[in-house]
Amino acid sequence: MGAKVKVIQRKGESLAEKIYLVEVFKGMKTTLDHFLRNLRDNSKLYVRHYPEQQPEIPPRWRGRHRLTTHEDGSIKCVACFMCQTNCPAQCIMIEAGERQDGREEKIAVRFDIDLIECIYCGYCVEACPKDAIRMDTGIFSVVENSREAMMINIEELAATPGAFDEEEYKKGGA
Amino acid sequence: MSLLDIVLIIIRVSFGAFVPLCFIAFCVWMERRGAGFFQDRSGPNRANILGFRAAGLVQNLADAAKLIFKEDVVPGHIKHKFYFIFAPVIVFFTAVVSFAVVPFADTLVLGGKSYVMQAIPTDIGILWFLALAGFAVYGIILAGWSSTNKYGMLGGLRAAAQVISYEIPMGLAVVSLLVVYGTVNLSEMAQFQGQLLFGFIPMWGVFLQPLGVIIFIIAAFAEANRTPFDLAEGESEIVAGFHVEYSAMKFAVFFMGEYVAMFTSSAIIVTLFFGGYQIPWLPTATLVAYAKPVALAVMLLLPVIMYYFAGWIRKNNVSHYDRPNDPRKREGAVYIKILWGVVAIMELFLLIILVSPSGGSLARIFAAELQISTFLLKTTLMCFVYVWVRWTLPRFRYDQLQKLGWQTLLPLSLLNIFVTSAVVVALS
Repeated sequence: MGAKVKVIQRKGESLAEKIYLVEVFKGMKTTLDHFLRNLRDNSKLYVRHYPEQQPEIPPRWRGRHRLTTHEDGSIKCVACFMCQTNCPAQCIMIEAGERQDGREEKIAVRFDIDLIECIYCGYCVEACPKDAIRMDTGIFSVVENSREAMMINIEELAATPGAFDEEEYKKGGA
Repeated sequence: MSLLDIVLIIIRVSFGAFVPLCFIAFCVWMERRGAGFFQDRSGPNRANILGFRAAGLVQNLADAAKLIFKEDVVPGHIKHKFYFIFAPVIVFFTAVVSFAVVPFADTLVLGGKSYVMQAIPTDIGILWFLALAGFAVYGIILAGWSSTNKYGMLGGLRAAAQVISYEIPMGLAVVSLLVVYGTVNLSEMAQFQGQLLFGFIPMWGVFLQPLGVIIFIIAAFAEANRTPFDLAEGESEIVAGFHVEYSAMKFAVFFMGEYVAMFTSSAIIVTLFFGGYQIPWLPTATLVAYAKPVALAVMLLLPVIMYYFAGWIRKNNVSHYDRPNDPRKREGAVYIKILWGVVAIMELFLLIILVSPSGGSLARIFAAELQISTFLLKTTLMCFVYVWVRWTLPRFRYDQLQKLGWQTLLPLSLLNIFVTSAVVVALS
């Protein structure tokens, strides 16, 4: 056995530290250095000037969902209900219908996601056997005025393009 | 009463009443932008009127408008509504009124009459401040108690525990100061600090009472309820302490009271220890006698300072991202023009002093104005120290504060009294 024990030296025992004032002034010097540096030249602030400067979204980042499509524009979703079953927030509502183009048997005729309920966990993407739902739109800010408007439907989901090319997205392990 | 008497009374009272109120906006601005710069972020800098942001000061107007129009809730469970509403009034009122005894310029002699430059020309001086500042805590305790809320109650209790630990060292630090100055009158104290120690060091309280300064400043931080002693508020453990139940303007009055208290205690620290309105090596008599050379020096210095300040504005008032014909550059150019205009007007006033006969009442008024500016500059720097400490130090636990007060500051201040008295007796 014998777990490794690392003894950490306790600080704050010496006289200079117990007087407090010396350490207080040291700390105040540190903060004053930061203040003066930023006051002299405020371009040195560690700040992203949002919303003018948008953050850079990496391919693995989970943004708003989209439904992927075949080359002819028909959606890949086969209404297997895997994502809806797997969803911990129960925000996906699917209605299945008969598929007419001969690719598969079923197709989703209704595919709603309630973005208020959604917790952006990405389990729907993990569960999907057909790579039909992805979260690679790069949309990170979803704002509406009402609860109803936060429900997005199948047309909107299919119309949103992915923000990254296939190669980059696949590199992320999808 | 002559017209001059009435005018001077109006000037003094309005200075005592409005300068603390103006400094609320200034201190809040300094706190927020200062906090930003201390933490490498920018602080509120977006709120504007027609594109003019005034370095973020416009944010204060937005906040004030928000607080005024918010719903003023008095929760139904509160039994003593009068005390509940009275508590913020106590905090704010005592903070404003305690500034009234602080001298902001040397006694002005005009037309054979002398005018003490305090809002209330009284002799009790520091006792007035101690009495009123001690009273401000009752507002906080009362607020905590009358909220009928556990967190509020705990905040009030903490304030009570705090007051017994800092009031005594503070009073004793003042006692040793009284031994040195031999007076309680703040005007006389400030005049005393115009002398020179060994002929070259200004005889400021900070040089005569180095230990007293530390004790008094620590106690003043506790008295103004500022970090590291803002344990009555303690937002991480007791939500907001004494003002949990307060909303809208009642909260705003607490908030403003805190900043007025910060300004007032800065003013008191400056008056007691940093020479008050005194310009080092330039006592009032010298200022009046050499008004013209001093005015000339200020005349030469102003454009130089303004030149560098304009350069700083041009460098920093820009957008730090790609933006076609940056509006902030235009904004900065307007500020620079306005400030040069202000400098030109000041130069004109200084020119009047240069051409007027020397030693007259104009020279005395000029000396008083210089002293007022010095006083405000020193107080602003002291307020900055308050902000600086707030964004550096973590909060003390209330048992730690009591330990600090009773076991460290109290013996130290007693020792300070003995040493000071021995030195004063030995020298006299």
